[in-house]
Amino acid sequence: MSFLAPLFFAALAALAIPVLIHLIQREKKQVVRFPSLMFVQRVPYKSVRRRRIHNWLLLCVRLTALALIVLAFARPFLRRDTLNTAVGAGAREVVVLLDDSYSLAYGDHWERARAAASNAINGLGPDDRGSLVLFGSGAEIALRSAASGDRPRLAAAVAAARPGASATRYAPALKVAGSILAESSLPRREVVLISDFQRGGWRGEEGARLPEGTTVTPVAIAGGADAPNVAVTGVSLARSTFSNQERVAVTAVAVNRGTRALRGGQLSLEIGGRPIQSKPLDVEVNGSVSVVFDPVTVAGAFMRGSVRASDDALAVDNAFHFVVSPAQPVRVIVVDRGATGGGALYLTRALAIGEAPRFETVVRQPDAVAEDDLRRASVVLLNDVAVPAALARRLQRFVEGGGGLLVALGPRASWSPDVDVLPAAIEAPVDRTRGDAARLGTLEFGHPGFEPFRAPRSGDFAAARIYGYRAVKPAADAQVLARFDGGAPALVERRVGAGKVLLWASSLDLSWSDFPLKPVYLPFVHRAARHLASYSEPAPWLTVGQVLDASAGAARSQPASGVVLTPSGRRVSMDEEGAEVIELAEQGFYELRNRSGDAVTAVVASNVDTAESDLTPMDPKEIVAAATAGPGGGREAGGSGQPVTPETQERSQRLWWYVLCLGILLLGADTVISNRLSKS
Amino acid sequence: MSLMASHNPSAIPGARFMDPVVLARIGNLSLVSRAVVDGFINGLHKAPYFGASVDFAEHRGYVPGDDIRRVDWRVWARTDRYYVKEYEAESNMNFSVLLDISKSMDYGSIGMTKLDYARMLTACLTNLVHHQRDRVGFVAFDEDIVEHVPPSAKHMETVLHVLDRLKPGRPGRLREPLHKLAEHFGRRGVLVVISDFYADPETVVDAVTPLRFRGNDLVVFHVLDPAEIEFGFTNASAFEDLESGEQLPVVPEAMRKEYRSLVRAHIDALQQRFSEVRVDYTLLDTSKPLDHALFRYLSSREKKLRLR
Repeated sequence: MSFLAPLFFAALAALAIPVLIHLIQREKKQVVRFPSLMFVQRVPYKSVRRRRIHNWLLLCVRLTALALIVLAFARPFLRRDTLNTAVGAGAREVVVLLDDSYSLAYGDHWERARAAASNAINGLGPDDRGSLVLFGSGAEIALRSAASGDRPRLAAAVAAARPGASATRYAPALKVAGSILAESSLPRREVVLISDFQRGGWRGEEGARLPEGTTVTPVAIAGGADAPNVAVTGVSLARSTFSNQERVAVTAVAVNRGTRALRGGQLSLEIGGRPIQSKPLDVEVNGSVSVVFDPVTVAGAFMRGSVRASDDALAVDNAFHFVVSPAQPVRVIVVDRGATGGGALYLTRALAIGEAPRFETVVRQPDAVAEDDLRRASVVLLNDVAVPAALARRLQRFVEGGGGLLVALGPRASWSPDVDVLPAAIEAPVDRTRGDAARLGTLEFGHPGFEPFRAPRSGDFAAARIYGYRAVKPAADAQVLARFDGGAPALVERRVGAGKVLLWASSLDLSWSDFPLKPVYLPFVHRAARHLASYSEPAPWLTVGQVLDASAGAARSQPASGVVLTPSGRRVSMDEEGAEVIELAEQGFYELRNRSGDAVTAVVASNVDTAESDLTPMDPKEIVAAATAGPGGGREAGGSGQPVTPETQERSQRLWWYVLCLGILLLGADTVISNRLSKS
Repeated sequence: MSLMASHNPSAIPGARFMDPVVLARIGNLSLVSRAVVDGFINGLHKAPYFGASVDFAEHRGYVPGDDIRRVDWRVWARTDRYYVKEYEAESNMNFSVLLDISKSMDYGSIGMTKLDYARMLTACLTNLVHHQRDRVGFVAFDEDIVEHVPPSAKHMETVLHVLDRLKPGRPGRLREPLHKLAEHFGRRGVLVVISDFYADPETVVDAVTPLRFRGNDLVVFHVLDPAEIEFGFTNASAFEDLESGEQLPVVPEAMRKEYRSLVRAHIDALQQRFSEVRVDYTLLDTSKPLDHALFRYLSSREKKLRLR
């Protein structure tokens, strides 16, 4: 029994009140002067004191009533496990958690794990219900709460299970087990956790808490094979250009996590499924080796590469896949007034320097921007030009389709007011040639464009002197990213459709400022162009467990649709709305195809989590203790309990009500007794 | 007489006694003593004035040296032998009351204290003895001698006056003052000791007995309040010792029986010890009339005289 408000027990001191009234108060009230206590003193004192209480029954009734009332206020309740113990053994709800991460493929681990699962299922009684949950990085319920009649289905599910490619994570599995147990109405609940208990799979509690009274039985599968276990943990790709052809040099890192050193092994590089290079591999125990392969010409898009080590005790982590495509430039159109002005010089020079990504720049006059230019380009830069209404409308469509637009304002800049694309309305120029020049005051460093300049001494925008700018009035849905020292907006951004528009209130050449001469100019232009183009480095590989959306590999975000071909050859069609994503569950190459299935739009390499190949075990008790909330919350063996619903919780706490009633009844009895005594 | 009470103790038939509580209201000891003694005498059928010196006691043979005036010539005439007549020589006896005025005597549960009672008793005895033309004296003591009136035929009023202004104050002790007094009373007489005797029977007897050494007749009155004998308290209370001031929590009901038996044993022990040393011991309950005490005194005197 426990108490919700044990502090109320301090009121038990009130029990002394009746006794004190009996013993002390009455003595002090009346003093009898007596000639001599000679004889009184000879009567044994203790017996006098003890017999001073007249009516033991009355005192006991009073004290019991008071104690019961105090007990009721302390809100006693019976613990669930206490209740269940009283109920005794009953039918069990058993959840078998079977680890199917790829580390179970090590040696004979999988056979032993399956045998343990079969044992657990065979141990189910006629009234018990069993569930099978296969877990790796996620958890999948193979069969939920099967009754005794479904026992063969459980056995079949165990037999059909295979180790996957995922890493081990215990928390999701425990959460699934917890939800199954919480919904169960059976009195005893058990979890059988079968795993190789890798240290890497447990990152603390993570909120995985089993219902109170659950028994967790860990079955550790460990030991066995005494062999080298080499894992290719990663590759790095160094691109280079050789005689106008892009080449890539692959460097692979191999680690030996086995118990024996690897001698005379082979590490081979495969391109497009064919081995083209092979290198000898010797790795000490717990040692790592990096192997550099000769550069390979990038022949075309989505070139599939793999680095593969020779077979050992755990084969899954021996291969590492990657995808290499020729680098894609970001195409930028700089719209300028033409050769007379020459204002685009700084912009074009700055954009020509970039390598990652590479910018491909074309300069056009406002009336010479062709439709084809816009279709190919990702970003349009307007450098102090008066934009005709026709071009403005085309640019609006371009932006809505996902393009990026940077408008730099100068004395000549104008925009058709009919086309609502700009983030701010352009107003009159402000002349700051007299007195102090304007400087950039506040910057929104949280914005991706200014993110690299967030750290101290990583770019001084205030060094640039702005002699003139256009007053602008930001639109309601626009965000001001930078302001001049006077508070006027300097850089305003607005999202239009799928694209973005940036408006720089001054010029990006030397006509109104010396900004192009400052060191921050180049990185600012690069960041702005990257941001507007929504450029992101394509990852050469993903890890099992990550999700793949349909836009992967596409240069510009387009409505995703099509078919995904998994490494095992399964075809998964993706929804037209692009809401569907695919979780990578296999090792190898995922192919994204268009809806008709005849053209490959992207290829994604999927690798296993190499942390999983580290088989260092942990103490299963750590998981058990965390999942059952310490030694008091659950038990490793023994009884189990019903799910705690609010009703049962309330019922177990309703004890105080009866205790209080009993106390009040006793007070009534006390009144009756004392009345009778006083009458007699 | 309105002061007469309706007590009718069976021990003395015909006597009319006055309630001591009523007497206590009179206040004047002289009046009280007179009322009691006169009433007492009236109630007796025997003459109270025995012990007069004319009483013949016995004949004895003449021995040389005897006063020839005391020779009974009538006997000589009949027997031709010389006999001398002997008389009771009781006239002008010394009579002293030794009164314990310790703090414990200042207790009374029935409207008068033990000291009041003892005071009246003293007055009555003095009065009675004075009527016999004996010399009366008085001593008050607690842990020492407080008042001393030497015995004299003229000291009746003095004794009453001293009695009147007695105030109990100090804790009492028997041994020291009584031993001192034992040396003081040179001439034979009658000594009456009135006390509540809150001491061991041995101590009491040891303190009182020396008073007899010079041939004094000793009468002891043990004065106790009815509450001291019956212990009729009902409420649990703190009992405070009048003399020491010590307090003790007491549940009277629980210990009444034991208390009573202790008091009874004390009284019995005193009675026995005093009778062993031939001292008249009388227990006086302050609720009982004074006449009872006088009767005990006189009867004991009579017994004594007869014994001679």
